[in-house]
Amino acid sequence: MKILLAEDTRDMNHVLTVALEHEGYDVDGAYDGEEALDFVKKSGYDAMILDIMMPKKDGIEVLKELREENIVTPVLLLTAKAEVDDRVAGLDAGADDYLTKPFAMKELLARVRAMTRRKKEYAAKKLRFGDFSLDDENFELACENSVRLSVKEFELLQALILNQNHEVSTQYLLEHVWEGAGDAGADTVWLYISYLRGKLSSVASHVQIEGERGGSFRLLEKAH
Amino acid sequence: MSTEESIYGDQLPRLEEVRQQLVRKVQEVRDEMIREKGFDPVEHCLSRIKSEESMREKCRRKGFPETTESALEKIYDAVGIRVVCSFLSDVYVIRDHLASMPGVTVMEEKDYIRHAKPNGYRSFHMILRVNGSVYAEIQLRTISQDTWAALEHQMKYKKNLNGNTELIVGELKRCADELASTDVSMQTIRDMIVSSDS
Repeated sequence: MKILLAEDTRDMNHVLTVALEHEGYDVDGAYDGEEALDFVKKSGYDAMILDIMMPKKDGIEVLKELREENIVTPVLLLTAKAEVDDRVAGLDAGADDYLTKPFAMKELLARVRAMTRRKKEYAAKKLRFGDFSLDDENFELACENSVRLSVKEFELLQALILNQNHEVSTQYLLEHVWEGAGDAGADTVWLYISYLRGKLSSVASHVQIEGERGGSFRLLEKAH
Repeated sequence: MSTEESIYGDQLPRLEEVRQQLVRKVQEVRDEMIREKGFDPVEHCLSRIKSEESMREKCRRKGFPETTESALEKIYDAVGIRVVCSFLSDVYVIRDHLASMPGVTVMEEKDYIRHAKPNGYRSFHMILRVNGSVYAEIQLRTISQDTWAALEHQMKYKKNLNGNTELIVGELKRCADELASTDVSMQTIRDMIVSSDS
């Protein structure tokens, strides 16, 4: 699992990174709000830990921008003890949890585990991209027409929608959609991408999926 | 003495000729594709001349006089052909061959595959005018679309659904959307097999 950590204090950033990596997470460390957003544009995360007090853009601004762009990755905010208003503002802006400094490392790790476990519940009921909608209750893909997707097709399209701002690699999809199932490989991903391309066109959507066999993929809205 | 005159007057042989002409064309396309690509685009092909009785009924329903002119000029399905295809792309292959036949003019086309009817019905419909005089209605669809249409047809004529009409209509729509999805998957798999052959 991949975590983005945004914390401007170098020592703190280092200590948290080491602890998270020790638990088996891949960690990208950012030292200010803008750098955090740059990371988010480049790849997808399973969870984010954002310090509120950061240079350039604070944690709440970063969070607001993420949610505005439909990125529903769970976010844990780190706040200083006195900042009650910050905690309220953070939760209102779409944070999933917060932790007051100073905190015990054990508690931080437990909250990250809880947050990533709950991940699926955070997804919106009806996802939209371009001219189509995808219903997560009945797996209906709808534009001018509608079709019902299979579970894997749904999960793949959902992953592409949630990572709409950047490309997602075949490897990422194998880990997140197929959850590392041994019999799934690059050809499996490619076949399911091909299914989705056919199904998007069968509902007369103008959205296309960019990418080649074994490479990275991204949704693209084509002009009518 | 002579029974009541046919609503088709003396035109039945011409209708029959057009029916056979269209069926022959579909058979030619099948033979050609089996020869050249190794697969048959058509599962089966049905054709009929609309019966005397249902043509008269349709004239009455539409408020036309029961005359030969109504049957041949105002109603377009005196000749009807249904081509049930193996895959989605085959529907459009057959469509193109029929539309480009010499002596055939496409009067109207409705692509209910691209825009399914609200109940889930999917088919490609065309009305052709053949040899400048005879209309024919063509329905093209895949096997799954045909299966769905057959069940939906049964339901339409079943009066008593124990008050479950809404549930059944909703479920039939869901099945139509699942079958449509499967049709696309099957097409994708076939394309993949065909492209790995070449």
